[in-house]
Amino acid sequence: MIKKSLTLVLFLAALSVTALAQQPATSATPRPAAPPKTHLKVGQAAPEFNLPATDGKTYKLSDFKGKKNVVLAAYVLAFTGG
Amino acid sequence: MKAYQADIAKFEATDTQVFGLSVDSVPANMEFAKQIGVTFPILSDFKKRSVVKDYGIFNEEQGFGNRATFVIDKEGIIRHIDEGRVAVDPTSAAEACNVLTHKKAIQ
Repeated sequence: MIKKSLTLVLFLAALSVTALAQQPATSATPRPAAPPKTHLKVGQAAPEFNLPATDGKTYKLSDFKGKKNVVLAAYVLAFTGG
Repeated sequence: MKAYQADIAKFEATDTQVFGLSVDSVPANMEFAKQIGVTFPILSDFKKRSVVKDYGIFNEEQGFGNRATFVIDKEGIIRHIDEGRVAVDPTSAAEACNVLTHKKAIQ
């Protein structure tokens, strides 16, 4: 019985060592490449867009001309926070 | 996106329409918006990815868009650009909108 529990303890210890050894490997995942720098500059005309949105509508930048400022907040992928 | 949502009143007060923009599908963006409580529209450049390319924020190698914010005035002219990590914080974009509309910085 004692021998059995000892084997179990040793087995668990070995498992946790393996888990610890694997941790640095995951955190050493290469960082994403440097983000591209946009070629657009302040003062230039913004390129037109015509895209579907989450509210079921399709929006064109030119629809806002003379009416509203537009802020385009682009993000890498959904579920990335921020 | 959450930070923009938190500041949405600042943008609305400056006569500004805020859009999110991603290369995800509309259903994926809808789920994302629901999860984080975003009420402004998120545009989906899923099919052609032409808009993210036009705006120079598409990572060709990895196949996704970079984080960036563009402030466009009523004449369709770009007035402010934030790229990378700074684009997460909407403060400078909100200030740019305020300058456009009220011709003065937020006090």
